[in-house]
Parts: sequence; structure tokens; C-alpha cells
Amino acid sequence: MKTHATERRTALSGGALYRLYVVGVAAALGGNVLIRVAAELGWLGSAGRMLVAVVAVLPLVVAAGMFWQLLRQDLDEMVQRIVLEGMAFALIVYVPISALFVNLKTAGGWVPRLDPPDLLLTPAILVALGILLAWRRLQ
Amino acid sequence: MTNKLSELRAARGWSQGDLAEALDVSRQTVNALERGKYDPSLPLAFRIARLFKLRIEEIFHPEG
Repeated sequence: MKTHATERRTALSGGALYRLYVVGVAAALGGNVLIRVAAELGWLGSAGRMLVAVVAVLPLVVAAGMFWQLLRQDLDEMVQRIVLEGMAFALIVYVPISALFVNLKTAGGWVPRLDPPDLLLTPAILVALGILLAWRRLQ
Repeated sequence: MTNKLSELRAARGWSQGDLAEALDVSRQTVNALERGKYDPSLPLAFRIARLFKLRIEEIFHPEG
């Protein structure tokens, strides 16, 4: 029998997923910073800033496609389940938190100021937490 | 669900990595299966049964 090739493949797939998402988020955030700085200093013009806004998100779009392929084809069934449970956890937690945020804000209560980076990172953190919980339960 | 996976594997002198390779799953999945933390899908259960030349019900048992 061969040794541990499958484990390496799954580890690579998981690592590739993580790196893809981190690079995509970093590009989107980098684009956001560039747009803010450009607006502040009067660079690029409105059309240029729009272009940066769209281009900065393209790595995330590519990552989404590759994530879908990795999830459906490259992960074994248990790891696939862990990732899907993590994403389900994130959605289940994110929706009531968002609803609470919106209602508190409407009621004039104190809510933390949310910047674009917070909006991008909150689901990512929740998915990571969900994956951790599912992983601990199944290992 | 309980199973005899670790006994069957040990009887053949295979590591968890060897079994994972034969089943085309990760070593972590084999570990979770052996510990009863994860129940396999029907296709995986059939692959396991075929590998050990046994019937599924000779390997997996409903929790008593």
C-alpha cells in the first residue's frame, strides 16, 4: 500500500482553501484602502475608483469558484461535512446578530461602528469558529 | 454506531494512513470512523466492506 498521499492531498486542499480566501479578502481590503486614499487625495477620479472597487474583488470571485470545486471534488466526505457545518454555523449565527444590529441601530441604541473590513471578516471568523467546533466534535 | 474497523485494520498490519489511502479518504476520517465519531456514507461503507471482503453489517453495528 502507498502511504499518506490522501492525507497530504486533503491537507493541501484545506490549505489551498484557506490561502485563497485570505488572499481574496486581503485584495478586497487593499482595494478598499486604495479607494479611500484615492478619494482623500483626489486621485484616479470616480471611474478609476469604481474600476479599483471591481478589480479588487475579482480574486474573491476566482477564490469562490475554486472553493466550490475543492469543496465538491477534492475534500473527502468527512472534511466536506466539517466545512459545510462550519458554513452553516456561520450563517445561523450571523443572521440573528445582523438582525439585532439593525434593530438596535434603528432604536437608537449603541451599536459598534462597522467598517467594510468588519463586514468581510465577521463571516470569515464565524466560519472558522464553526469549522473548529465541528472538527473538535468529530475528532 | 460501533464498528470493527480498528480490529480489521490491525489484523492486516495496516496503519491508519494505509487504510486511508486504500479508501481514498483522509487519515483523520479513518481515525473518526474507528472512534465511532463519524458514520460513513453508504458508498464509503461499501468501499470498506469490499476492501475487507466482508458484508457491511459484519463491520458496522447499530449502537446497542
